[in-house]
Amino acid sequence: MAAAEHAAAASPADALDSYPLMVGKQDNTTLTGNLLAHVWARPDKGWLLAFAIAMAGSGALVLAITVTLVEGIGAWGNNIPVGWAFDITNFVWWIGIGHAGTLISAILFLFQQRWRTAINRFSEAMTIFAVMCAGLFPLLHTGRPWFAYFMFPYPSTLEMWPQFKSPLIWDVFAVSTYFTVSLLFWYLGLIPDLASLRDASKSPIQRKVYGIFALGWRGSGRHWHNYKVGYLLLAGLSTPLVVSVHTIVSFDFAVSLIPGWHTTIFPPYFVAGAVFSGFAMVMSWMVPARHFLGLKHVITMRHLENMNKIILATGMLVSYGYLMEHWIAWYSGNQFEWFVFFNRATGPYRGVYYLMLFCNVLTPQIFWFKWARTNIPLMFIASIFVNIGMWCERFVIIVTSLHRDFLPAAWDMYYPTWVDITLFLGTIGFFSTLFLLFLKFIPAVAVSEVKELNEELQHRPAPVTVVTGA
Amino acid sequence: MEHAAEHHAAPVGKTFVLARFETGEALVDACYKVREKGFQHIDTHSPYPLHGGDEALGLGRSRVPRIALSGGLTGMFGGYLMMVYMNSVNWPLNVGGRPPHAPPSFIPITFETTVLLASLSIFFGLLALMRLPQPYHAVFESEAFRSAVNDGFWLSVALPPGGDGKDASALLSQLGGREVSTVQEDMR
Repeated sequence: MAAAEHAAAASPADALDSYPLMVGKQDNTTLTGNLLAHVWARPDKGWLLAFAIAMAGSGALVLAITVTLVEGIGAWGNNIPVGWAFDITNFVWWIGIGHAGTLISAILFLFQQRWRTAINRFSEAMTIFAVMCAGLFPLLHTGRPWFAYFMFPYPSTLEMWPQFKSPLIWDVFAVSTYFTVSLLFWYLGLIPDLASLRDASKSPIQRKVYGIFALGWRGSGRHWHNYKVGYLLLAGLSTPLVVSVHTIVSFDFAVSLIPGWHTTIFPPYFVAGAVFSGFAMVMSWMVPARHFLGLKHVITMRHLENMNKIILATGMLVSYGYLMEHWIAWYSGNQFEWFVFFNRATGPYRGVYYLMLFCNVLTPQIFWFKWARTNIPLMFIASIFVNIGMWCERFVIIVTSLHRDFLPAAWDMYYPTWVDITLFLGTIGFFSTLFLLFLKFIPAVAVSEVKELNEELQHRPAPVTVVTGA
Repeated sequence: MEHAAEHHAAPVGKTFVLARFETGEALVDACYKVREKGFQHIDTHSPYPLHGGDEALGLGRSRVPRIALSGGLTGMFGGYLMMVYMNSVNWPLNVGGRPPHAPPSFIPITFETTVLLASLSIFFGLLALMRLPQPYHAVFESEAFRSAVNDGFWLSVALPPGGDGKDASALLSQLGGREVSTVQEDMR
């Protein structure tokens, strides 16, 4: 009997889908209970420990920023010719991580992928926090971040305007727009859930605080009418936006004249890499979060397997990017271009290069196999490898293209200082701090959307059953 | 003038009749029937958008797309003209011999300002259309109504001034509404 029930719960809705989107029979009351439970629960020891470590990382970030501000960016390992190093590597890496959030929340929404619903809130939060970390690096790299507002077009007493033909100014607009739109999209999606928290809460203080952020939402049909359209339009706008942001980030390199950067393949190659690393980061956080927050019934193996398929697909796109880059470098007959690529594989930074190839090209290949796509420890380790590999990719692109420039007399090596390393690890700590606070105070799953999905799943026509032998 | 108010009766807040239905479909059905009886200001309250809810309330096309379009166009022309004015009219800037007005270089920021202004206008346009934030509303006077954003499906009927709501309450009970109650806006 129990086995039959289990089989019924796991029975495919679709002959091609072997895992359900939602486990067990759920209704609006049970979903309100179990999706909000982790917000009401007191933080356990594991969360407190993780939070303490993350706060230590944030503290290290403050220290590294202070040193950078006091000493100037001479505290970093950057030199001539390696003017961009850890800072821009980290910037591109973090921005790329953010892209998965927008892809899941906007692009999969437009494609009506139902499996996006349980994971969009989570990955949108990741986008916002990742962009916050990303923005820090170019800001500090300006050297005098207190003058960063010079980059915005305002009528200053200097009578100077920004230079709009520079990709670096394009970046300012792209990243600030991306952050603003992601935040609005996330908050708009949160309003019904904040109202849900307000009205499910027993404590007057929680009721008041969540009530302020819920803006007085009362689930009105007249509100939903406009809300649905607004949400759809924001998804439609976010979709080209996310593509444009990493395209513009890649223009920082592609529009220059540096061999190894000056290539037309950069925009699509960067966008694919961004989605690749972003999905890996979502995976790295989702595997523990669904376990510790008790969300296994809404974030099922189906979600994890689909994400692994996307990691495989984007990993193949990235691998194709590597292949084309090297092929064109050879085929162009340009000795400087070819030298850069030859130097990547044989020069002093070849270790990072081979680590990149191992993590980004070989690791995702395991996801051709279903046993690997559905093996949770394995996918967690693979996602960490992809995160490392994508960081290495940005390091390889930036540092190896710069450190041996046109004149051998000007060649130099780049080594990170402790400030560089602390800044990078510090942003990981800062990101984790924000993410842990998010997981504590806000539902990690879009409750209202999951209830709607549950309703749809219960009312869809009976699935076509494929009768196999035996 | 301040004394004059004391001689009048205290202002009367809006009154609503509330009823809870078991499912979204029941709520949509009831909504149609209440509207057929001639009640004017009806609203549904549900944890997620109801299937067919817009038609049941008799709502037309949303104004949000037009707001988004006007915001997007403002961003597009505003962004492009801003760059033309700043880099080629007010302070012509020669960078590497490129013309002061260089359309290809102005495209990326034009795109970003288009998306930015369209998104901001969607967000703030939505808040304006929904008249949010509105921390207080008469429906919150009912404690049971708090299930509307979690697992309840509620119908609210606003009464005309002076109406006692007996006819509306009777109709809602007859349609299968539970927890039928009348709430009045607190004007303090």
